[in-house]
This record gives sequence, structure tokens and C-alpha cells, in this order.
Amino acid sequence: MSRGSEKPDESPKWMSFRTLLVSSMLLRVFLIIYGEWQDAHMEVRYTDIDYTVFSDAASLMASGESPYKRTTYRYSPLLALLLVPNSIFHRSWGKFIFSASDLLVGLFIREILKLRKVSEKVCTVSVMVWLLNPFTFTIGTRGNCEPIVCAMLLWIIISLMKGNLSQAAFWYGLVVHFRVYPIIYALPIILVLDSKLFRSGHKPPLEDWNTHTSSTEKKTFHLKSLFSRERIMFGLISGGVFLACNAVSFYFYGHEFLHEALLYHLTRTDPRHNFSIYFYHIYLHYERQFSAVEKLISFLPQFTVQLALVFSFSKDLVFCMFLQTVAFVAFNKVITAQYFVWFYCLLPLILPWSRMKLKWEGLLCIILWIGAQTHWLLWGYMLEFKGVNVFLQLWMASLVFLAANTFVLVKIIQRHRFSPLFGQYVSSDGKNVKKLD
Amino acid sequence: MGSKRGRSVIAATFIFFSMSCLNSISTTQVGTSMLDSDTFCISDQYIMQSYFTTQSSLNESEFRNFLRLQQCSENIPYEKDVPAVATLQHREVTGEGSHRHLLTTIKLLRQSHLHELVIVERLPLGVFADPFELQSLQQRRAFSDVSVFGDTDLEQPSFRSNRSVVEIHVEINGNGEISVKLPLHARYQPIGESGYSRVEFGEPDLFLCSRHVPDQEHEQRRCLVLSVGRSKTQTRSVVWEIPAGIRSHTEYVSVVTFVAAVLSAFSILVASVLSSKVESCKNTKEL
Repeated sequence: MSRGSEKPDESPKWMSFRTLLVSSMLLRVFLIIYGEWQDAHMEVRYTDIDYTVFSDAASLMASGESPYKRTTYRYSPLLALLLVPNSIFHRSWGKFIFSASDLLVGLFIREILKLRKVSEKVCTVSVMVWLLNPFTFTIGTRGNCEPIVCAMLLWIIISLMKGNLSQAAFWYGLVVHFRVYPIIYALPIILVLDSKLFRSGHKPPLEDWNTHTSSTEKKTFHLKSLFSRERIMFGLISGGVFLACNAVSFYFYGHEFLHEALLYHLTRTDPRHNFSIYFYHIYLHYERQFSAVEKLISFLPQFTVQLALVFSFSKDLVFCMFLQTVAFVAFNKVITAQYFVWFYCLLPLILPWSRMKLKWEGLLCIILWIGAQTHWLLWGYMLEFKGVNVFLQLWMASLVFLAANTFVLVKIIQRHRFSPLFGQYVSSDGKNVKKLD
Repeated sequence: MGSKRGRSVIAATFIFFSMSCLNSISTTQVGTSMLDSDTFCISDQYIMQSYFTTQSSLNESEFRNFLRLQQCSENIPYEKDVPAVATLQHREVTGEGSHRHLLTTIKLLRQSHLHELVIVERLPLGVFADPFELQSLQQRRAFSDVSVFGDTDLEQPSFRSNRSVVEIHVEINGNGEISVKLPLHARYQPIGESGYSRVEFGEPDLFLCSRHVPDQEHEQRRCLVLSVGRSKTQTRSVVWEIPAGIRSHTEYVSVVTFVAAVLSAFSILVASVLSSKVESCKNTKEL
């Protein structure tokens, strides 16, 4: 593959990205307007029930009360704060914010790929995977807040790639306060901040898309390097921001905030049916509590997989984050469809490095994954809308979904062209240096 | 003298016995004191508004006690009226799955000066009504007023939650038929043997009240009891069968779940380790 030097006929391709962005924006605006119409005129609402929860919490906050008075509001007060204009301007303000974040994610994807000198064509295709994904454009326009989290995560990656350590740490602390799950990225980020590769304040050398050689750094582990200046700084700043946000929220909203926004997510065991393999197990045991040993045992597979992925792939930070997210969702006690956005936003970032061809391996993966989901949804429909007891079949469909997730994950690992995010600094002593060309 | 004493002893005994009889009668009367066509007064917007401040469960006698306590103050006019009579014409649960409607049709046979029909649905354990859904129905003028009291936690399964009550107010004009469609949702049921849990609906408690005038402080509204606490309809009881987990599945579901998780985790572990080994082999080859 040739390096992307600017060709004279490059401009049409640039315009095609602009066209893509504008048409995506128009599509989202249309869907928001359509959503308002459907809510008013049809029995089934377009808007997600969560959006109503956020809006109600925001209007409570606007009138000076606690947003947690709204039952099932389980997010940071920042979200309610963001949606206060819902009660001032128009109730769709939040949807516009979420869709704007959605478009921002598209821009960030392009930025990240361009920083690694991916060719224009591959770049545009990757961005299309996000912007034109039906799941993506419905999630923002229906009023789901996940696009904001995705935008923050991608901004953190961009900051790291540009060497802005404090900015990356600030946003990381904020995103963990907002949604607890990004805590799983703490370890790989810390590991990638190797002082041989990353110096604060300097732009780190990035491993280009075209580089086929990887870092030859030996895997010797020095305890001293574990506590490098960059790592400590990152830990302190992000930890500080996280604690500060929680402290302010606790100051305003007390124990309600702690229980609803933080502890609920850590201890959530929902027996109602969802994609997770654990739902039936939890339901059957709901009358008696789980012992600490049982909880630990059910957490072990998740924990082991996360550690294995981090220690195998942390240098290729984005790939590691993608794999971790897929695995985290797949092994979680509760899986709802909105969690899929967490890895959909990282997928375009790893596609340029995949040796998987759409025909037929890629297509097979897509069909298997969507097929397993559809199969589960059919049984879910039987249970919820026809009232037939199909708990056992539904649970087996969850097992099939886990199998599909595992298969796709393994295939992606096998077909990935490992490429560390940061290349080697050219050091003066000449040892262990591979020239970056 | 002796007969006089004897008579007073007999009288005293008689009084004593009759008092104790009265006591026992009045305790049973407490249980059945709220008869049809009795009236009481409420000062809140809803009959059930203050129920859970004094009572904790929704059984028959507690509910009747509560109604009995809602006394009218002296200055509320009471027009001696031919009491209204209503019959419950139709009751069924329509729909399929976890989200159904409770359809109730009431026919009023006589006109009354009280223009608001109040239906108090004491929901059985196992189903719930969504307050937000009911609010939007109220906005669409399906009812003039509706509220849910009691346990409105939408997420708890059935054995963790207490019962809830839905109070619906409907304007009536003339002596027509009132049809009310209440959307209900199934909770997750306690696990059992058969795979289904049977939820039975009794009859709603019906009252006729004078119209609520908003913004009037301390107004008392008179309510007439049409029917309270009938448990089953004459024809057949209204039943909803809700799917429930099967106890005998417990053992092998847990084992298979865990085995599946371990197998998956193992495959990913192996794939990761192999992949990073391949990469490091490649690196050493290129050196």
C-alpha cells in the first residue's frame, strides 16, 4: 500500500468526507424532528425512555431540587446540568447535543486516523462505519447519552497522541466520573505511558499505518520505570478530577448521588432478561443473596480476560481498548444494546490495521454477531410480548450470543496487524533503535 | 325487697351481657361497617392519598377501617338521595405478554348529584402500573385524574415489592356506561414449579364523589360507597398467567453458565497469548 502523499486529484476525496459529514448531520436533524412527530402521533414512542428520565431530572435540577428525586436517574449530575436547557429552550435540546457528539466522534475518528497517516480512502470508509451505522444514528437521535462518552474517550486518545498528558488525564477523570466503565482503560493507558516512548509536553512519535516493523523494545520490566513521571502525573490528575467531581456532586446531593450514580453500577444485578448469560442464574437465585465467594467466582472470567488482553496488547492502545470493551460487555452481568456503542466508536479506529477482508470473513463475523442477537431478540419477543415461558431458550440464546462474541473477538485478534501506538524515540546511543520510515 | 334486688341483679347482668355483646358486635361491625351506600368525606384530592401514612398493607379490613375513619364534618350538606346503584358489567385482562390492559365496564343505573366516579384498584402482587404512562394517558383525557400509591418501584421483582393501588377518577354525565382501560405490566414473579404464576384480580372498589374543585382550601367532598371489597366476579375470576422461572432449572443453569464463561475466557486468553507470541517471534526474526 502506497503512502498517502497528496495527489492532485485528492480534493474530491476530501469533499467526499465533507459530504459525508453534512449528509450525516442532515440525517440526524431529520430523525430528531421525525422523532418528535412520532412521539406525538403514535402509540410507540421514538424517544428512549431514558431521555425522559434525563429531562425530568434536569427540570428538577433547574428548579433547585435533586435530580435523584427522579426514579431510575442513575447518572452524574453533570448530565442533568447539560440538559437544563431542555426546560428552557426546547425539549429536544439534549438530542441535539447527543447527535452533535455523535458527529464529533466521526471527526475525531478521522483526526486519529490522519495522525497515523492512514490513506484518505481507508479513512473515509472507516468514518462511514461509524456515521452511517444505523445503530449509531438512532442512538443519539433517540436521546441516549452514550455518544458524549465516546467523544470524550476519543478526545483522550487524541490528546495522548499529541502529547497533551494533562488534558488526557483531565478528561479521563471526568469520563470515569460520568460513566464508571472507562476505568478498565486505566491499566493500558498507564502501561503505554512508557517514558521511553512518551514524554510529557513533547509530541510522541506515532507509529504510522504504513510502518510494518514494530518496536523492538525488550520486555524487561524495571520497577523504577513503573513509577515514571508521566504515569504518576496521569494518575494524580485523573484521580484528582474524578474525586473532585464526586466531591462536588456529593456536596450537593449527598448519599443519593453515591447510591444511584456510583454504587448502583458496581453492584447492579438485574434479574430481568437481557443479553447477558448471567440473567437467568441471577433470577433463579434472586430470593437468596449471593455469597461473597459466588460473586468472586462469577467475576473471575471477566477479570482474567481483561488482564490477558491488557498484558498482550497494551502497546497497541486503541486495539487493546477495543478488545477490552467487547470483552467487558460480553462478560458483564447485565448487557443492554446501548452498551454496544462503547465499542462501535473504537471499531473504525482498528479497521485500517485488520487483515480481515469483508468477503467473506468480515461478512461472516457480522452475520454471526447480528444473527445471534436477532435470535435472542426473537425469544425475548416470545417472552415479553407473547407471555410464553421461554426462559430456558432465552438463556441458551444468551450463551449463543457469548459464543458469537468470543468467535468474533478471536478472529479480530488473529487478523490484526499489531501496531503500537507510539513508535520508538530515536535515541542517541543507537542501541535497540529501529528506524521509522 | 328480695325480688327488687333480684331484679336489679338480673338487670345488671343483662346490661353487662348486652354490653359485652355490643362490644363483640361492634368489633365485627368494624370489619363490615363500611357497607354499600354509606358515605364518607375526604379532604384530599384522592381517597388513597393519606392511606399509606396510617396503614401498611392493602388487605380488606385495613381498607375498610381506613374508610370508616374518613368522617364528615357537620357542615357538609347531604342531600337525601336515592342511592346510586352501579353494576360491574364487564371485567377482563386484554392483550398478550407482559404488558396488558385491565378493562372494566361499569353501568350506572340511577342518576346522582355526585358526578365523579372513583375507581380504586388494589392491584394484586405481581403486577404494577407505570405512573408516567398513566400521566400521559391523563393528558390525553382518558381519565380526569389518576394516581398510583404504594409501591411504585418499577424494577423490583414481585416478591420484593408490596402492593400498589391505582385510583382513577372519571367524570360521569347521566347514567351511562363507563369503560376504563388500565395499562398494567407484569413484574418478575417468584420462581415456581410450573413455569407460570397466577395473578388474580378482584373487583375494583367503586365510589361516587362530588367533583373536585381545584385550589379550594380544606374542601371536603362527600363520597358514596358503591361497592367495596368484593373479591370475585359472579361469573369467573379474572386471571393473568405470567411466566416465572422454574426452580428445577437452578442447578444446571448455574453450572452451565459458569462453564460457558470459563470456556469463552479461556479461548480469548489463548488467542491473546498466541497472538503476542507470534508478534514477538516476528520481531526477533526481523532483527
